[in-house]
Amino acid sequence: MTGLTLKQVNKKFGEFPVIHEVDLSIDSGELVVFVGPSGCGKSTLLRLIAGLEDITSGEFWIGGQRADQLLAAARNIAMVFQSYALYPHMTVAENIGFPLKLAKLPRARIAEKVAAVGESLRLGALFDRKPGQLSGGQRQRVAIGRALARDPKVLLLDEPLSNLDAALRLEMRMELSRLHKQLAATMVYVTHDQVEAMTLADRIVIMREGKVEQVGTPLELYSRPANVFVAEFIGSPKMNVFSADLDRSGGNPVIRLSEQTALSAEGAAGSRVFAGIRPEHMTPVDDGGLRGVVTAVEHLGADTLVHFDSAFMEGGIARINGISGVRTGENIGFQVAAEQYHLFSENGNRL
Amino acid sequence: MTRRSPSQTIMIYSLALLLGAVLLAPVLWLFIMSVSSTRDLTALPLTWIPETISLENYAKLLGGGGSTVAESFLTALRNSLIVALSATAISLAVAVPAAYSFSRLPGRRRKSLLFVAIATFMMPPVAIVLPLYAMMGELGLLNTHLSLILVYCGILVPFTTWLLKSNFDGIPMDLDEAPIIDGANRLQVIWHVTLPIAKPALGAAALMAVLMAWDEFFYALLFTNDIRAKTLPVAIADFAAGRVADYGLISAAGILATIPPVALAYFLQKSLVSGLMSGSVKG
Ligand SMILES: Nc1ncnc2c1ncn2[C@@H]1O[C@H](COP(=O)(O)OP(=O)(O)OP(=O)(O)O)[C@@H](O)[C@H]1O
Ligand SMILES: [Mg+2]
Repeated sequence: MTGLTLKQVNKKFGEFPVIHEVDLSIDSGELVVFVGPSGCGKSTLLRLIAGLEDITSGEFWIGGQRADQLLAAARNIAMVFQSYALYPHMTVAENIGFPLKLAKLPRARIAEKVAAVGESLRLGALFDRKPGQLSGGQRQRVAIGRALARDPKVLLLDEPLSNLDAALRLEMRMELSRLHKQLAATMVYVTHDQVEAMTLADRIVIMREGKVEQVGTPLELYSRPANVFVAEFIGSPKMNVFSADLDRSGGNPVIRLSEQTALSAEGAAGSRVFAGIRPEHMTPVDDGGLRGVVTAVEHLGADTLVHFDSAFMEGGIARINGISGVRTGENIGFQVAAEQYHLFSENGNRL
Repeated sequence: MTRRSPSQTIMIYSLALLLGAVLLAPVLWLFIMSVSSTRDLTALPLTWIPETISLENYAKLLGGGGSTVAESFLTALRNSLIVALSATAISLAVAVPAAYSFSRLPGRRRKSLLFVAIATFMMPPVAIVLPLYAMMGELGLLNTHLSLILVYCGILVPFTTWLLKSNFDGIPMDLDEAPIIDGANRLQVIWHVTLPIAKPALGAAALMAVLMAWDEFFYALLFTNDIRAKTLPVAIADFAAGRVADYGLISAAGILATIPPVALAYFLQKSLVSGLMSGSVKG
């Protein structure tokens, strides 16, 4: 097993910078998820690791070996493509065995290995079919099988579950999670779905416009987002973020959200800060609290989403456990524990 | 499937029949001529169905007795086969890597090079035949297979390259990168993945190339003047050039000359099925 290290990696396409000064170290056996909005450079970063693109500057190490000049074929990194990229003219067994055939393994060894991989992915019955005769989920498993066939040191997956329907996606997510435990391989997984990221990852790398915004475990990102972007990206529905004026009249800067609530904003500079509250941390109260008017109610069964406008923010969302009798147009108040507020300075960084 | 109304069905079938008749009538007439006696062919009014079927013309062409007719026909057949198949094989061997590089490798100048190659294909043969003739004479290549093979390659390489390039363009880039990740080098990518997927296009290119070389008349007429390298179209024309044209013989030669390309088309037909791409990528 092998870790990966990226040191100040840059990538430009012509003059156009796509990856900017990425420093990252991925431990052996870890499952790291790259997540970020479309076009932020996740696939590009993955392709740099795979060796499909050359890095423009910086260093890339596989284990203790400098690897940025190493050919893709020599890196012993397997990849599951965003599009699966199965070989349409080969059967399932031939697809899975192809890397082994290239490695010039004896035929009997290949058959053995293909059978083993097929078994672990429940593909045995499909061995003689062509990719065109498979369902989406089956194709997905074949693509993973092909990547696993030669016991790669590192497995890269680029949005492997997009285009699958919700039920299948859930099933495949469990399957991937199981595979990761079973193989103990280093895995890098790209997605723009934060739920996938939260459920699968040992650590999440959040990217925006070619830069790494924060690296951490799912719970770290959830409970201590480094900036407003991360705060809004992780969690669904997303965090309510609003700007608030600083009150320095009492020495220490505070923000006042209502008559009773004053929050200390220690270390804040300038005249304003951003405050954030997760929808699930807002408890409705009859009197006092943060007051607002309900603009819409969504009943999800297990919980209810209440959209509200209030003096401090428009278009806020609160998540209430169970089925709630709140109605549109009602006046409502929320209580939020002081430690559940997230405060960010004017430039967006956590205080 | 949408259902067609009966009148639509009738219309489609009758138009198809009409098209078939128009396409096949000349071939049928050629065949009838080839098995008719000279007397039937020259009788007035014309008899459509010959009174006696005679295979005499075929016998004359294919063998027996070492007649000069048979000799010139059979050597021309052999020349045509050698020239058409060699030109096709060489062209494809050149066109595959060329098309792959035009389709896959970066570089702006590469694109203009392809345009130049196609422009040469557009050039009318009369424009270049004189310098070519002079060159061939200089090199002592007149009346050789090689001269025709070279000229035909000049025509076929741009054409097959362009045809294959547009087909390779349709193969997703991921299918080049996946085998590279799996440990293949470029040549292995082409051999194991690109070519098998492009098999229908390869078949089509080979077929078109053979046909073009098989039917080519102009250069063959000018560069060959005896049986060492004369190809079928020229040899058949020779039959018509005598004082009395033997239409029956010409027709029989025509029918025989169509058999090899038709047979080739029949065998390639299996590889011409499309839809090989399906299932490789999602969505
Ligand atoms: N070959 C290329 N040449 C020029 N620009 C490119 C190339 N490949 C990607 N880019 C640009 O790099 C940026 C990042 O692309 P990338 O594919 O890595 O995004 P992504 O995060 O994977 O997005 P998505 O979630 O939509 O897959 C985009 O702005 C894209 O236009
Ligand atoms: Mg992508």
